[in-house]
Amino acid sequence: MVEKEQELSLLETLDHLLDRGVVIAGEATISVGDVDLLYLGLNIVLANMDAVIRTTDKR
Amino acid sequence: MRAVVIGAHLKRDDIEPIAEAVPVGDLFLSGAPLSDDQPLGDRDLLLRVAALRARLLERATFVAIRYGLAVRSSEDALAKCAAQLPRWRRLLTEHRSKVEMTVKVAASDARPRPQRRDFTSGADYLRALHGATKAANVDPRFREAVSRMGTARWLHRDDRSLECALLIPRDDVSRVQEAGQQLKRDFPDVPFLLSGPWPLEVFADDHE
Repeated sequence: MVEKEQELSLLETLDHLLDRGVVIAGEATISVGDVDLLYLGLNIVLANMDAVIRTTDKR
Repeated sequence: MRAVVIGAHLKRDDIEPIAEAVPVGDLFLSGAPLSDDQPLGDRDLLLRVAALRARLLERATFVAIRYGLAVRSSEDALAKCAAQLPRWRRLLTEHRSKVEMTVKVAASDARPRPQRRDFTSGADYLRALHGATKAANVDPRFREAVSRMGTARWLHRDDRSLECALLIPRDDVSRVQEAGQQLKRDFPDVPFLLSGPWPLEVFADDHE
């Protein structure tokens, strides 16, 4: 359970870092390996919801 | 000098010595230094910036800049951000004593997530993911209860969840966390996550 909550906390933190806040026009598209960050951000959002449901179901 | 930008702040003291302060007009950008050959997608850099973001918020509320903006100097920062500075100053002054909290709730009528293998191009897949975001809905009684916890903005972010950004006074973080515990008791069948405090993210955008 603690491990699940740590995973959830990390996913939530990365979700906010990659997918929130002011977007400044003109910034370059950046990637992690070959994965575009937009794609990575979306998948973190989706993985995050998986983790919310898994953690809640274990309560 | 090269730094990946974390946020916009009213005062230099809100940043140093936790992070690098880059003057931009009458405000300051916080930044994490990086070498010329270090990619912004570096995993360790991402985690370092996430940790710095949390420490900076403990000091003072700031306008969050989405990860990915790098600047080389004050002049470079000014060229990229000049148009935003009056609005940032107004937001920072108006909301200096406030933070955001987020309630992410699983949808009650979620649409199946698009599957990557069903698409021949990544662009079509991303469009389908974006298109699915309007499908989610939640129990209206839960929605009302969350909206009472602060100044609320509801957002559709993906196909299976809705999110509520709450703007609250810093001193109310514990109160909102306790209200979150009460929500779990009142709505035991609704999977949700209350997180924060966060800097000005959703409320940094006047158009949300």
